[in-house]
Amino acid sequence: MAWEIKHEIEAALHAESQAISAGRLKEDNPLDLSDDFRVFCEACRRGDLKICQELIMEGVNINARDRFDYTPLILASLCGHFEVVQLLLESGALCERDTFQGERCLYNALNDRIRNLLLSYDYAKSTDPLQPLAAHITSLLTRNHPKTTDITLVTPTESFPLHKFVLSARSPYFAKKLATAPDTTSWKLSSSIPTESLHVALRYLYFSEVSADLGDGEEEQSILTGIDKISRQLEIERMFESILESGDRRLTRQRRTDEVNRGRDQLNEWFKNNVMKHKIVVDTEKAQDVHWDRNNAIFADVLLRADEEPEEEIQVEAQPHDPLIRNTSGPLNGIPIGPLAKSRSPSRHRRPKKSTLYPVHRAMLLRSEYFLTMFSSSFREAQETPHLHIVKLDCAPEVLEVVLTFLYTERADFGLDVAIDVLFIADLLFIEKLKQRAAMIISTLGNGSTSAVESENPRGATDAEDVLDVYEVVRAGWDTRVHRLEEFGARYIAYRLERYIDEEDFAELVRESANRIKARQETDTVELIDDIRYYLSDRFRLRFEDSGLEEMMEEETIRDDPAELLEPLPEDEGVDMSSNSPRKQTTDQDMYAPDIESQLRAGAVRTLDGELAGDEFAQDAINYQILLGKIDTLLERLELDA
Amino acid sequence: MIAGRGRSKIRPPRRGIHGGEEIDFEQTWRVIASAFNEIHTKNASKLSYEELYRHAYRIVLKKKGEDLYKRVRDFEHDWLTTQVRLRIQDLLSPNLLMSSQAIGGTTANERRFAGEKFMKGLKEAYMDHHVCMGMLADVLMYMDRVYCQDTHRLSIYNSAMILFRDDILHAFSQDGDSVSVLDLLNRVILEQIRMERDGDVIDKHMIKDCVYMLEGLYEGQTDTAESRLYVASFEGSFLETSRGFYRAESELLLRESDAGAYCRHTRRRIVEEQDRCRSTLAESTTPKIEKVVEDELIKNRIQELIEMESGVRFMIDNDRMEELSLIYELNARVDPKKTELMRAMQKRVVEMGTEVNNAAIAASQAPPPSEGTDKGKGPALEKSLNQQTVAAIKWVEDVLQLKDKFDLIWKNAFSSDNALQTALTRSFADFINASSFPRSSEYISLFIDENMKKGIKGKTENEIDMVLEKAIVLLRYVQDKDLFERYYKKHLCRRLLMNKSISNDVEKQMISRMKIELGNNFTMKLEAMFKDMTISEELTSGYKGHVAQLGDADPKRIELAINVLTSMTWPLESMGGSGDEEGKTLKCIFPPAIDRIKRGFEKYYGEKHSGRQLTWLAAMGSADVRAVFPKVPGKDGMLKERRHELNVSTYGMVILLLFNEIPADVSLTFEEIQAQTNIPASDLVRNLQSLAVAPKTRILVKEPMSKDVKPTDRFSFNASFNGKFHRIKVGVVSNGNKVESDRERKETEKKNDDSRSFCVEAAIVRIMKQRKELSHQQLVAETLNQLAPQFKPEVTMIKKRVESLIEREYLERIENAKVDSYRYLA
Repeated sequence: MAWEIKHEIEAALHAESQAISAGRLKEDNPLDLSDDFRVFCEACRRGDLKICQELIMEGVNINARDRFDYTPLILASLCGHFEVVQLLLESGALCERDTFQGERCLYNALNDRIRNLLLSYDYAKSTDPLQPLAAHITSLLTRNHPKTTDITLVTPTESFPLHKFVLSARSPYFAKKLATAPDTTSWKLSSSIPTESLHVALRYLYFSEVSADLGDGEEEQSILTGIDKISRQLEIERMFESILESGDRRLTRQRRTDEVNRGRDQLNEWFKNNVMKHKIVVDTEKAQDVHWDRNNAIFADVLLRADEEPEEEIQVEAQPHDPLIRNTSGPLNGIPIGPLAKSRSPSRHRRPKKSTLYPVHRAMLLRSEYFLTMFSSSFREAQETPHLHIVKLDCAPEVLEVVLTFLYTERADFGLDVAIDVLFIADLLFIEKLKQRAAMIISTLGNGSTSAVESENPRGATDAEDVLDVYEVVRAGWDTRVHRLEEFGARYIAYRLERYIDEEDFAELVRESANRIKARQETDTVELIDDIRYYLSDRFRLRFEDSGLEEMMEEETIRDDPAELLEPLPEDEGVDMSSNSPRKQTTDQDMYAPDIESQLRAGAVRTLDGELAGDEFAQDAINYQILLGKIDTLLERLELDA
Repeated sequence: MIAGRGRSKIRPPRRGIHGGEEIDFEQTWRVIASAFNEIHTKNASKLSYEELYRHAYRIVLKKKGEDLYKRVRDFEHDWLTTQVRLRIQDLLSPNLLMSSQAIGGTTANERRFAGEKFMKGLKEAYMDHHVCMGMLADVLMYMDRVYCQDTHRLSIYNSAMILFRDDILHAFSQDGDSVSVLDLLNRVILEQIRMERDGDVIDKHMIKDCVYMLEGLYEGQTDTAESRLYVASFEGSFLETSRGFYRAESELLLRESDAGAYCRHTRRRIVEEQDRCRSTLAESTTPKIEKVVEDELIKNRIQELIEMESGVRFMIDNDRMEELSLIYELNARVDPKKTELMRAMQKRVVEMGTEVNNAAIAASQAPPPSEGTDKGKGPALEKSLNQQTVAAIKWVEDVLQLKDKFDLIWKNAFSSDNALQTALTRSFADFINASSFPRSSEYISLFIDENMKKGIKGKTENEIDMVLEKAIVLLRYVQDKDLFERYYKKHLCRRLLMNKSISNDVEKQMISRMKIELGNNFTMKLEAMFKDMTISEELTSGYKGHVAQLGDADPKRIELAINVLTSMTWPLESMGGSGDEEGKTLKCIFPPAIDRIKRGFEKYYGEKHSGRQLTWLAAMGSADVRAVFPKVPGKDGMLKERRHELNVSTYGMVILLLFNEIPADVSLTFEEIQAQTNIPASDLVRNLQSLAVAPKTRILVKEPMSKDVKPTDRFSFNASFNGKFHRIKVGVVSNGNKVESDRERKETEKKNDDSRSFCVEAAIVRIMKQRKELSHQQLVAETLNQLAPQFKPEVTMIKKRVESLIEREYLERIENAKVDSYRYLA
């Protein structure tokens, strides 16, 4: 029996590799020997969220494998970096059960927490990141209210209300036709083509999956002929091919993914060349006077307006044709900053406030519940007028562009500089995915280039201390109810606690956190402090466990500072401690190097309170206790019982 | 590219949304409140959604959600209590209020208009509120999603709906009055429905709208379907009122109209209520109000209804299909088993069936009315037997007619309901097998016999089919199939031997039908009888050929047609008529000429089948005798020799041949004849009766001349016999298939019981052989089960058979078993 199964598996693998080499099937995990990918893998090993995120945004193939057959996901889960695993999965890394690499990944997961995370991202869920976009566009075919259609396709038996911008983006034929006559409101289909064929073609144009299941016999033949005709007429020949092709599950899925990707790219292209290209910048006080005809070349049916920030005198005209999306090549290393340098203008003189107007389509805005409600209501925005409504959004133009890009193309690659604004506007507009995306960007890129490894940075110092205002981030997390940001903040603070512990702002934040709890009356602990303590133990335990010196440390600390060290280590409930333990000895050695150097430079090993410590283990132990002590003091001062 | 910019922070969020400075809550609220005012006064199209949303969003983001929520509620509360409530109270005309306490002083019309006005106003207020709150909820979406969810509050829409309920519906209709607007509304709606039931036309849409309002509001804080105001406050009283209404109505109707009208009315009411729920109230009420109507108009009344003078009995007797169908429909509504209707119907079937039974018994038992006028006792007996046969056939016809009648009712009125069909079958079986009427098997067999002999003459195949089918239908009802088999065999036997059957094909058809209906076992012996007949024909012709080959062309040759019957298959004892024990042992002495032929055939047969013994049953044969009577003066004075061909029974032939041997004027005594022929006394009596007493076939002269034949009577040849026809058939008394006399019947039953005990024993042994050990109860049950297709044995009989089997050591009792059990002894 077993032999037979082995035989079958081998046959299947052989068939697969043949299909791949014949080019019919794409390999799930292609070999990638590029430098970028090597750096990426390295970052996954070390748990460097920032590098990972930067490389992902640059477009590194997240599902490739290195020359040892490791995929980034396997590396991250093997090395126990929960956050990195999460990031990879959210960014589209595959961990599919019943595949070789998937099972390997699960098998290698360092602890149950990671394993469960991997399982929860089984293919079914993460299937296609573009699915929501595709589903929305497909739903436009049947959505009657609010009305978003602007052209009607007429056949002898039926009529289909449709969207010019979709047709124009997807079909070169319509693009040309509509470019010459943008105010067309109806289009007649040749009567020789069966309505069913048109049905299929429309579903294809609207991102729906089309299959060859078309009835039988003569009927099928005539429909197929019709499809052939119509696909040639609309210049969407691929459709006919994709209907005829049929293969196994994997091939079908792959083809579907390709199709949706292609569609998205077309839409993206169209979005850039039309919406973004035709945005207009006007003085704010004149913004409301702009009149756009309903019949316009880009078929927009509403204008979105974003005002520049008044106090920051950033010139807007410098970047009219350049979308904010970072598609530059080269890694985004270094400190993420505000608007792109390109948009900076040397002139800083005070000038009238500017507003940017974007001609957009309600059909796409409906993806936000805010707009859906707005356009379904009976308020002014939903009234029919000769000129387009101008709807103001309370954010900067570049933030609005991020939102629009997401709504039209599902792309959400933006910098840390706008991340918080995006977070808020996504919250306001109820675009949950974009919100999560912003949170992810903040919690990965926000890490700065500080190593997550204590030994590299024993004093919690950071070279990126100014990268973000962590208080703002935590508060934004609270305001927008993104728990991840609070966790991120706690982690961020824990790793630099020396710097924050004495600040009055920090005390204020702790108080706020405590108040949140009071309002909710759920527990008595201060969530933020709990989190910080957890990450603090994370930070120090890394070293203790590495050296296997826990017992020794205990003795030493007691000897060194008995007064402060009587407290036992805080227990971390529900966390698997082992998640942090096994690290490769070699890496550790590498990481030690700069540390020793610095000590050499300093001449001695000192603790945070300036005392001399015997060695760096002792130093860590004492530092840990000092920090814990400080937290307690703070809580006492704030009269919080935690 | 970034170099030189220095370290730059993540940009703090924009001030516009959530900068450091506080927003002015009061001012923002004023903006929102004035917008809400606009919304309530239907000027929303000028308002900017974006702006309002932004204001609300900011307030919530600034953690002022609580205040906002409260303000909105207060605003709505204010609006409802100041603006809307007044408008509603304006609608309350004194008419409307008064109608609650005392009806009088106002006409129905006035009250109705007041009610409609009130509902209209309330409905409009609700619709306005609904629309406005929808818009408010749109604007306050962020508050709903963030603040309300975090603090587990009701969404603002729901909250406002509760306000509407409390501030408007639960408000008292007038100051100091204890009747709330909601109560008033319920009352108005109920009143309108009452009007509609009484035949008025009302504004259904209006009520529907009000119901819609009640369905949209909830009694408590939760949104369960049960707590909808419609259910909580209206539905209950609606059902209660309806119940009272229909209870009164059903009483009135039962008193004043007949059952048919009642049914029609009830059905109309149900349809009305369904329509009402659809068009006026809520669909969810349909089953509930249906139940009320069903309870009041049907369930509680069905018995009275069925037993009314114009009830089911009347309908059945008068074939009121439509009404029966109505009653069926109604009963089916409240009782899937249709118990009441079934009972009434069964009762009627049994009643009518018993009538038929009684009529048949009366017809057969009552002394024939013609007795007095008829002459002679012999014919009278025959007549009476005939009359009984006629009664049997009439019984069958009547039962079939009854069956047709009920089948028609079942099909047309009871929509071919399975349960009712079973009940019908049971009822038919009940009266057909009634212990007071033990003749059904015989009657059915007679019916078939009659048809085989005469009835089917000149009928088409289809008609014959129908006759056969009828017989089978009745046969299905018969419980004691073995009894029927016995009768059928007997009747068939006579038909076959006496060539009475019109068509052999039809006979065979009948057999195959019975085979389908009752199984192979049942018809095996019947088929064997047919087989014997066929073989006998072959034998006869074979023997004829054999004789011809012998070559002695004897001019006085006697032709022999013989039927060889397998002794076990044929009910020979019933053929013999007397069935006397000695009758079997006595062998008739044949005249020498006959005896020669008999021996010849025995030899021939013995050559063909060695080891078989032939027993000659002279009692069952017949013979054609050519007789020459001396010349007597004819009417014209001419002397004429008369030749007759006499068809007589074999015994008759033997007797007549005796007189061939002696001079014409010599007479023989009864005893002499008996001694010379060895014919059993009873047969002899009957044969002599037919030869010497029957007026048309008086070939012998009896001395003294009387009806009864006594041993001392003397017989002589009647030379002056004068027959009208050339061919004369001398019938033997009691030769046809007729209803048995009581004595015969008892005998048949006894025989039947005997054969039954064999069947029972066989069944017991079969079962025990298979099961080895079995408790008494199970054994009885299985035996009954196995014998069900043949007959239903009495339990005592089974017990007796078991005892007998134990005695014969087929079975033994299991010692010390908890329940009585037996073991099979191989």
